[in-house]
Amino acid sequence: MSTSTAVSLNKPATAAGRGRYSIAKTIVIVFLSILVVTQVYPLLWLILYSLKTNEEILSGSFFALPHAPQWSNYSAALEGNYFRYLLNSLFVTSVTMLTVILLSSLCAYAISRFRWRYGQVVMLLFLVGMMIPMQATLLPLMIIFKNIHVLNTHLSLILPYVAFSMPIAVFILSGFMKTIPHEIEESAVMDGANIGRIFRSIILPVSVPPVMTVCILTFINIWNEYILAATFISSEKLKTLPFGVNSFVSQYSVNYGAIGAFLVLGALPVIIVYFLLADKITQGMVAGAVKG
Amino acid sequence: MNVLKVSRLTIAAFVLPCLIIYVGIVFVPIMVSMYSGLLDWNGIGESKFIGLDNFRNLFFHDPVFWPSVRRTLMFSVFSMAEIPIALLVAILLKRYIRRPNFLVSSYFLPVILSVVVVGQLWKTIYNPASMGGMLNQVLEAIGLGSWAHAWLTEPSVAMYSLYFVALWQYLGYHTLIQYTGILNVPEEIYEAAKIDGADGFAADRYITFPNIIPIFKISIVLAFIGSLQAFDMVMVMTGGGPAHATDVISTHMYNMSFLSMKYGYGSSIAAFLVILCLVATFLINLIFNKLEKRFS
Repeated sequence: MSTSTAVSLNKPATAAGRGRYSIAKTIVIVFLSILVVTQVYPLLWLILYSLKTNEEILSGSFFALPHAPQWSNYSAALEGNYFRYLLNSLFVTSVTMLTVILLSSLCAYAISRFRWRYGQVVMLLFLVGMMIPMQATLLPLMIIFKNIHVLNTHLSLILPYVAFSMPIAVFILSGFMKTIPHEIEESAVMDGANIGRIFRSIILPVSVPPVMTVCILTFINIWNEYILAATFISSEKLKTLPFGVNSFVSQYSVNYGAIGAFLVLGALPVIIVYFLLADKITQGMVAGAVKG
Repeated sequence: MNVLKVSRLTIAAFVLPCLIIYVGIVFVPIMVSMYSGLLDWNGIGESKFIGLDNFRNLFFHDPVFWPSVRRTLMFSVFSMAEIPIALLVAILLKRYIRRPNFLVSSYFLPVILSVVVVGQLWKTIYNPASMGGMLNQVLEAIGLGSWAHAWLTEPSVAMYSLYFVALWQYLGYHTLIQYTGILNVPEEIYEAAKIDGADGFAADRYITFPNIIPIFKISIVLAFIGSLQAFDMVMVMTGGGPAHATDVISTHMYNMSFLSMKYGYGSSIAAFLVILCLVATFLINLIFNKLEKRFS
């Protein structure tokens, strides 16, 4: 009896609640959509900008569409060394990623599974390194690289890129490898497999998900890195994309449309990758943030 | 058998390649930098050992240094002020949106872009209206033309313009981190709370909030590290100018070493930066360990 009263008393309340709920929901959706506009519109604006003439940019309105798309801005931009920069970035980033995966998975395996005295010390070293900002090593690395004659080569970028990607890679990989069941390795040992073979045929294949995370983190960080590239590289033909974009923009300071086009082209590769792998990238970056 | 027993040679083969590169590129330069901080050296010629003179000049006679420290810290404060907004967005996403993928990916889009693209894009947006700058055009269009500024060349507003770009770029990152944190709070707790009468924002106050304190730590560390990475953004957008109005610790270090050729002095700034980072991380961890104890 008492329960049925409670239910009937509750009914109008929920109905009223639902009415409020839908108003609240509308407000929330408006608010969240405004955020989409503020986050995405600057990029759309850039695309419009890149298709306008200088006159349209200087006198026109910020939301006006270009009268006729100025594709010549893009050809002007491509006359800069866009493809050269792109290739350099591809080369530097992929070599860095491969090296990071190989070396840090070996190290992470040793830390998480081998019985040796200094495993925790090595791990601690990586944890401390996570907190060291890359730019603090800028000056000394510059001097060291100059002395060993690797300044102004891709190696001078790959070495620090690899080193600064390692802590988080080792952290993520060793965290995962600790959870692999020991029985798998035991049976492999029984079957006479040596440690190299266990690593190659068992550990690496099951570690694909964290390796993907490391790949994504390394890719985003290294692909976008600017300051080391701008400091260590001076030859035009060795510049990576962010550095190239910046030098193009500084050189063509009055050809606004071409600058816009170059910025669009500069953002394009990473945006394409993001469209293909959005979920993986967001998950990977969240996993990468969890390092404090 | 719990952990593999292997020969020293095997351990070395697994660990050393990684460790040598890592120590050689991260720790050796830091040590070199700490030592160079004690030198009067332009980076090329003869160097002279001057003890702590660089640090004395830095702390007591450098008019640019403390303001640059303040701006670096303000950068983290502004970035941290973004976390409550991100939390609010995350809570709203979870409560009202059934398929949040589109929204989340839109918010996240700026995060994956290079600082160069973001910096140059915003430089263009901040341009005077006569040079096609969007912000001033928007202000004029909505009748707030008097609010228009030379956003990056007026010393009094330039730094705030830079803070804002960082907020814009990283809002999506913080939102996504908070959102993931909220999704990981077990649904049963909310259901139990509902029976006890805690619903809506009360549930957030007593359940969401205490449960995602570890996530706050991640966001705060990220905001702090991000504010140091503001280096690239400042270099791309203003280079520390006008008249040092946007200098942060690392741009001051860069300008001193590469433009003023005071390599020893620049190294002492780098040493300060490393110590600041380690101390701040230590403090953040300490505070959060206490917080987590109190709330669990």
